[in-house]
Amino acid sequence: MQPVARPVLNLLLALTVLSPAAARADDTDADALSLTSAPVESTQRATRLFIEGAIGRADQRYQPGWRDLSRVSVDLSGSFTLATDWRAVLSDRLDAMDPADPGADHVVNSLREAYVSWQQGGGATVVDLGRVNLRYGPGYGYNPTDFFRDNTLRTMTTVNPLALRENRLGTFVLRGQRLWGDSAASVALAPKLASRRSDDGLSIDAGATNNRDRALLTFSTRVTERISTQVLVYKESDLPAQVGASATALLADSVVAYAEGSRGREPDLLSRSMALDAPRETRNRFVGGLTFTPIPRLSISGEYQYNGFALDKAGWAAAGATGPAALSAYLLEAQRRQELASRDAWMLYATFKDAGVKNLDATALLRFNAEDHSRLGWLELRYLWPRVDVALQLQQQGGRQASEYAFAPYRRSIQLLAAYHLD
Amino acid sequence: MHCATHEPAPILDIMNIRALILLALLAPWLSAFAAPDPQRILAASDAIRNPGQPFSVAVTLTEYQGGKQIDASTLKTYSRAQERGGQFASLVRFVLPARDAGKLMLKNGNDLWFFDPSTKATVRLSPQQRLMGQASNGDVVTVNLAKDYQAALLAEEDVQDGERRVRKSYKLGLKASAPDATYASIELWVDAENDRPLKARFFADSGRLLKTAYYRRFEPQLGADRPTETVIIDGLTPQSVTVMRFSDYAWRPVPDAWLHPDYLPRFQPE
Repeated sequence: MQPVARPVLNLLLALTVLSPAAARADDTDADALSLTSAPVESTQRATRLFIEGAIGRADQRYQPGWRDLSRVSVDLSGSFTLATDWRAVLSDRLDAMDPADPGADHVVNSLREAYVSWQQGGGATVVDLGRVNLRYGPGYGYNPTDFFRDNTLRTMTTVNPLALRENRLGTFVLRGQRLWGDSAASVALAPKLASRRSDDGLSIDAGATNNRDRALLTFSTRVTERISTQVLVYKESDLPAQVGASATALLADSVVAYAEGSRGREPDLLSRSMALDAPRETRNRFVGGLTFTPIPRLSISGEYQYNGFALDKAGWAAAGATGPAALSAYLLEAQRRQELASRDAWMLYATFKDAGVKNLDATALLRFNAEDHSRLGWLELRYLWPRVDVALQLQQQGGRQASEYAFAPYRRSIQLLAAYHLD
Repeated sequence: MHCATHEPAPILDIMNIRALILLALLAPWLSAFAAPDPQRILAASDAIRNPGQPFSVAVTLTEYQGGKQIDASTLKTYSRAQERGGQFASLVRFVLPARDAGKLMLKNGNDLWFFDPSTKATVRLSPQQRLMGQASNGDVVTVNLAKDYQAALLAEEDVQDGERRVRKSYKLGLKASAPDATYASIELWVDAENDRPLKARFFADSGRLLKTAYYRRFEPQLGADRPTETVIIDGLTPQSVTVMRFSDYAWRPVPDAWLHPDYLPRFQPE
């Protein structure tokens, strides 16, 4: 180093240390260190309770003009210790809706869960008895391995597939689960308790979820830290056994992949909607998707969905030609069974927490029927206070005549929701 | 008969013994001049942050923006060191705000799961996904840095601690040595007197400062003086500050089942 250069360098270093930027950094740290914690709250919480109200308007497809929509919901869930190793779980929701869903009361109660649970070995062995919400499958918009999904929705309060699960009825089962190492196995037996679902809004509606004898075996394992799999075998009375499998994998620090599928032998969905005695065929159901998180609070999921029992392109054209009654029955049957109505479909689902503004969450959903090219879009902006949520929801759906999303009674709708969360 | 003699050997042995005795006598004096072992300091600092047995602790997160409180939440974490690798696995239960009550996050290295009781969905998360405002998932769970990072002693220097007192410290440079380490590198200041962690700066692969943390309010908890508050200053927007308060420390068995995604729907808080 040149003799002159060293003092100059030392001076530069000194200036760097004393620079306004360095001083600002120290000031920022000092300011931060003057901040204190909020008061410490109790961590004992046994119940969740919230009340939600919604008002909105919908542009009617088959009637002139717009019509008003309104709903009030009370949602309660809780878990209570009965004795050592024993606990009870209760989860219930009451929806008062105007207009009511087709064929349903204006006030509908959904007893989602009511069961007792026994555990031993710190949870290594669990036995549940009662109405239990057994949900399987990593898919967002469609779950071929979710074998207890049919008839579980008494009300349709949203098209958001994740929010729809909040209303879902459990199934009356005797269920045992055993966990060891990186693996788990379970068996669930669901007996027939009634022949058909109830139209009474306040019924516990055992006939919706337990109208036939059913059994499910599952085995799941962690293959590596980044890959988990599950295999399922399902049997219901009068139908051959179905097999299913699912997997999730962490592909990168910001990418999760998931897939699930099932294979069964049963009549196609159109025949079932028309109560035809159609031959059984062996076909597959499948979902595969990726969730990408480009920044920590934004996640985007893209999903391909396939239902071998649903209408393909020719089927949609034929069903449309037979008249609206057949198509209406088909879509209601798909909704009742939580089945994919189209042979192939795509879905995009994005959530953005603190979307530009702290405590403002944005959620967007786009469904695309790959056979008839109809589509549904849904957007929610939700602002969160400590106890209150306020949300604005916009929905639009369309396509060519007699297509899946162009058949719905509303073209577009707007809703304003407010929810109050109690401790 | 040829008699072999080994006269030099005893002399060497005697010299060796004398040298060893001398070395033993001088060892304490010499050790004062030996460079401290940075990995030992890091492990000792970990032991102050992290209890050695399975435990639970309540975490209160208070978020500030520009000095103004904008959010607060409460979590309960249950942690224990895993038999494989010794790193901690944690189950985090959301307590407040009320809308989040009962949600669970399971973190076992990069095996990260989220359970929402309202949808009954157990979803695999990527490490990039953040659930708790400004704090990252890794901030609220226990981590043994010595398991994931290789330490080097960068300097012995005075540093301002979280209570704005000047402390003599070892400044350690940590480089990620495990593939699933959260940060590429960390600068950690450890109290030269008692191995307490004082301050840390966390860096991304690019060298960008991600956050600065100050450990403070050391109190006797589960057999050692442990920091009961961490102040986290965002590296990109230093006006974003999270104060994490740790309370209700307790020894708590964490069974294997609790660390299994299939158990999350059945988890029952005490």
